[in-house]
Amino acid sequence: MISQEVRDQYTVTIGIECHVQLKTKTKLFSAVGNDAREAPPNTLISHIDLGMPGALPVLNEKALELATRAAFALSTEPERFSQFDRKHYFYPDLPMGYQITQFYNPIIRSGSVTFAVGQQTKTVRIHEAHLEADAGKSTHPAGKDYSLVDLNRAGTPLLEIVSEPDMHSALEAKQYAKELWLLMRYADVSDASLYYGNMRFDVNVSVSKTDELGTRTETKNLNSFRSVEKAIEYETERQIELLEKGQPIVQETRGWDEAKQKTVAMRSKEEAHDYRYMPEPDIPPIELTEDMIKPVRDSMPPMPGEWRTRLVGLGLDVSQTDTLLEAEVESEANYLAIIEASLSEPEKAKAIANWLVNIEIPLRRELETSGGLPADNAMRAKLYEEIYKLVSSDKLSSTKAKSLLTELLSKNKLPADLEAYAQDGGYLQVSDEGAIEKIVAAVLASNPAAAADVKNGEMKAIGFLVGQVMKESKGQANPQLAQQLIKKQLGL
Amino acid sequence: MSKLSREDILKLARLSRLQLTDDEVTQFESEIGSILQYVELLQDVDLTDVEPTYQVNGLKDVTRPDEVVDYQADPKALLKNAPDTEGDHFKVPRMVA
Repeated sequence: MISQEVRDQYTVTIGIECHVQLKTKTKLFSAVGNDAREAPPNTLISHIDLGMPGALPVLNEKALELATRAAFALSTEPERFSQFDRKHYFYPDLPMGYQITQFYNPIIRSGSVTFAVGQQTKTVRIHEAHLEADAGKSTHPAGKDYSLVDLNRAGTPLLEIVSEPDMHSALEAKQYAKELWLLMRYADVSDASLYYGNMRFDVNVSVSKTDELGTRTETKNLNSFRSVEKAIEYETERQIELLEKGQPIVQETRGWDEAKQKTVAMRSKEEAHDYRYMPEPDIPPIELTEDMIKPVRDSMPPMPGEWRTRLVGLGLDVSQTDTLLEAEVESEANYLAIIEASLSEPEKAKAIANWLVNIEIPLRRELETSGGLPADNAMRAKLYEEIYKLVSSDKLSSTKAKSLLTELLSKNKLPADLEAYAQDGGYLQVSDEGAIEKIVAAVLASNPAAAADVKNGEMKAIGFLVGQVMKESKGQANPQLAQQLIKKQLGL
Repeated sequence: MSKLSREDILKLARLSRLQLTDDEVTQFESEIGSILQYVELLQDVDLTDVEPTYQVNGLKDVTRPDEVVDYQADPKALLKNAPDTEGDHFKVPRMVA
């Protein structure tokens, strides 16, 4: 272990490459189904994916649209001219002997991602993003001298998003990865399921005591935000230790061993770098026109950054905002649409946002394992609307609103007459003076000491008496009214 | 460009997954070398105002809709073309230790 003092002498520099699997029905260059999640091995293959001689790959137009959406999500525009290249290397999961990618003229060459790190706002620049075809999947049966290859994934469309080396801590890198995930989901570019490997991160890490960058290593194929963070922490520590011992850092590709929580050397870069790129003659160049780009631009929904501004504007704090933005992509519950519908009434929108964060989202997450909760969005929008009406007219206390919401969300039901239902269930506040007066009289009689204190001007004791009234009324009394009546009966 | 070295040939062979005998290395050293020398003639052409050529047939924006097409290419038949298979998988020499 290196000391914090030594660690502080070094600057860590991090760049991230992220492979995002695009949400298309078919592969990038062949009209074969793309959903390899549950498909038996080698059933989603064609002569094109297998690189048979004479097969002609043809570009999927949807991939261009999704890359354009990604460009807008990254706060930029797609390149009007882009083109594909062949990247040559031999590996059994790459049937053609080359990967079709974009090396010289990628479809995105600018952009940025802005996110929060604690209380600070951080912006990471995007160097470029290019379209490319994924490789197949290999398995290595234990104790055998062979490997098995499944080419279902070969040819799946990926967008590789390359950041500038703008990050300087594992936490920043993790937050960047998370924000990229949100962006790809909100822009509907990718299903972005980390579980199914729809997003995979390669992290480039170097450390240096000076302004000059140190030798970097690349840790490949990280498939969770946590492993991004852990791998960078480990690499930082490892590299500083080597330098402190006077040993050089080898520029190499490393892998992440999840079980041991450490990075391990895979191959040195020296040789792998010679990819002999050449323009792909089978895929003509791409010229995006304004006719194609405009409808995409017009169809972009608000991105997480814009939602953050809106939600903070309603008075929500950072953690509530993050909860909402992340929960939005966990289910089909359309939380943000429910909030959006009442944005013109900020008080209401804030109350609903709070209920979503404090009640529905935790409830939904809790029930996730036991089959989940139906997301009847129209019904829920109406439910929140009506609950708010009861609260804002003082008929329902905020405490009772929570229990009523919990009950109705769990039952997934909106009663025909919510007020009557709440009345029958004992949720409504009793604002009937006569009924509360009786309770107040009883409470004053059984708490003479506290009553005397209040009479003598010790107003602190009034809180206790109100509490007793609430208890006696099983929480249904309107506390303001109770306080007034206590004062009245004590002659204050 | 000067002549190719023995190391260049060996590297090229490694990248191409080819195993060459010593005699073949010597043979290719001179053969590939002379091919390169011939192609080097192109270096003398003045390209100052010439746009890079990405495509020779003048095509652009050739795309297809994102719909599954039945290529009549039966996966089982495709698998049969492989030198070796096991079950539904292509079988290849082991890639990892």
